[in-house]
Amino acid sequence: MRTSLNGSRSEPGAVAYARATVDLASRDVRIEDVPCRNLEDVLGGFGRSFQILAERTITHAFTPENPLIVNTGVLTASNVTTGLRTYFSAYSPLKVSNKGLPAAMWSAGSCKFGPKLKWTGLDEVILEGRADAPVYLVIRHSEQGPQISFEPADDLLGLTCHEKIMWLKNRYADAHFAAIGPAGEHYEDCYMASVALSTENQLRSGDDKCRWAGRGGMGAIMGYKRVLAIVAQAPDKIAKLKPEIRDINKAVTSGPGSRKFREKDKGGLGGTWSNYEPLEKFHFVPQNNFRPAGDGKPELMFRDNVQPDFFVKAESCFRCGINCHKNVYEKNADGTRGAFLAKFDYEPVNLLSTNLGMHDPRKAAALIALVDRLGMDNISLGTTISYVMDYNERHPDAPILNGATFGDFDKARELVEGAGTGRFPEVGRGVKRLSESLGETGYAMHCKGLEFPAYQPDTNPGYPWAIAGGHMSMATYMAVALEGNTSLDYWATLITTRGLLFVRDDLLGLCKFAGVTHDHVVEALMQEAGIEVTSAELLAAVRRAFMRALWLERKQGYDRSDYTLPSEVFDRPNPNLGVPPFVTREFFSQLSDRVWAVFDPEIEEIARA
Amino acid sequence: MPRIRFTNLFAERIGGVSSVDVHAATVDSALRALTDRHPSLMPLVWKDGALNPVMVLFLNDRQLPAEEIGAPVGPGDEIDIVSALEGG
Repeated sequence: MRTSLNGSRSEPGAVAYARATVDLASRDVRIEDVPCRNLEDVLGGFGRSFQILAERTITHAFTPENPLIVNTGVLTASNVTTGLRTYFSAYSPLKVSNKGLPAAMWSAGSCKFGPKLKWTGLDEVILEGRADAPVYLVIRHSEQGPQISFEPADDLLGLTCHEKIMWLKNRYADAHFAAIGPAGEHYEDCYMASVALSTENQLRSGDDKCRWAGRGGMGAIMGYKRVLAIVAQAPDKIAKLKPEIRDINKAVTSGPGSRKFREKDKGGLGGTWSNYEPLEKFHFVPQNNFRPAGDGKPELMFRDNVQPDFFVKAESCFRCGINCHKNVYEKNADGTRGAFLAKFDYEPVNLLSTNLGMHDPRKAAALIALVDRLGMDNISLGTTISYVMDYNERHPDAPILNGATFGDFDKARELVEGAGTGRFPEVGRGVKRLSESLGETGYAMHCKGLEFPAYQPDTNPGYPWAIAGGHMSMATYMAVALEGNTSLDYWATLITTRGLLFVRDDLLGLCKFAGVTHDHVVEALMQEAGIEVTSAELLAAVRRAFMRALWLERKQGYDRSDYTLPSEVFDRPNPNLGVPPFVTREFFSQLSDRVWAVFDPEIEEIARA
Repeated sequence: MPRIRFTNLFAERIGGVSSVDVHAATVDSALRALTDRHPSLMPLVWKDGALNPVMVLFLNDRQLPAEEIGAPVGPGDEIDIVSALEGG
């Protein structure tokens, strides 16, 4: 990114970013500096990529006209802690309107691929068209500027994400990698394929420890394009640490914002896995396809109950002092660390164990590791499998697929393998399509085609307004547990104000787990990029980006019928939840009226622009 | 004066302020001074008159059990109040 601002008031046009447009069919590569049109362009991430997607008319995700945009945020590769994000954006095969049109989607992943990409000299790569044979792309830094070459990928076919990355690691020094797994190669039957990003720890240890751009099937788009991997090769270009940034980093890594994700012996609460405990106080931990039983079984997956039998080590992304990765290893007889098993976060642990009726950490680790090897989004997959099990419990005389029911680990594993290898397209294409084909949509836990994360829909009427997945793009998913407020006023205000601002870091290149304050972001933009904005300007840009995403949904046929919850939330209230049911049809209808009354004029303004 | 620090969850309700200095002799009174000054934080900090069970306190980097909310504080002490629920 090149800026001629030099600390003066921000004019987006004075900032240009470096973009490579790669035509996969002709192998033409165009590299150019692109002047920014607005602050969203400057900030990057989905703020920029969605403006590019808005210029396209796409009716099917798997078409050459659907670009895959790989970009970074303005603070990616900066000295700000967690400035490591890479974004993958495209029209999604998974997120679709009821009219059948694909929706714009982004997915973010951390660790060093994003910085390496930026250090090649590029802020953004747009993959156009489709290669005529499997390839991987090599993006290199050179004295003449970034260079991009195509390499045949026959040797990568069929390898897991980790195997692809390690194969590339042995051929490209000083590089990091983005790769798809078998699921992405079977994109036609697995829309929930993800993109794996290599980590320093993985390359050093040889353990399968990728980070993920998981949601929305960006790995399926990459698979369609026959790009099996991307290599970003460049020397590290770490700038001298300014005292102002050092102070911000100290505040981030030792302040309250990251306590949740730090270890207990580092003044933290132990990571996302520890969400089990506070949620279980309210019986909000999903069980058996989002139907908590209030039977205490989720406690079996509490970290304090799991840890004695394993070796749990907190590890981190590149240069991040938060150490949010809670990696679970075998524990040797002498108490030392054994073989790596899986990374335990709340989402995969819940959706691949408790929500499937299983309460065994070893089985959870096995499924998480298998999903990672095949390269799928564990949220979409886990939630689709829980639907299959629920359906089979309801139809014991006419089960589908392999007849899996809750608690059946072997059949769950078979469904995972089948989804990731194209054998069970009913699963791989997600719960929206599966439930519609079966005519039983009422307990299909998704909104707009994106499966729910591990938070109950009957406690989150904000799900329908999430633009890129139920929790990371609308901060309403734990509001009931936090505040217990179920009033219409509260929810309408939450969704239309604070909830949507959760996507701020999906422009900037930062990780949400860092909890960087708005003031610190403003300071970091000044110090690291020479961009002077106020907090109000920053948040206005985030809000515009959010509204643009809603406008893009509308452009793809979304109407009010898409913005709803599974009907059983309304029709079959769960008496086991720790709060009285409040998401009734009447409540939700009134909430929709209130939300759209705020959003509609802003969306129309975006449309006019 | 002790200082109370908090996350964006709190800051975004009170104009972006991420810490507040209060006159108080205990953690409990410090938090009450905080919510007296910023009533919009009441539902986050308190539930039925007691500390919200989803909130966790730290006093000078040490986790403070809820039953020790009456712990004394003085000038220079730092109280962090954070949500036990975050991330995914």
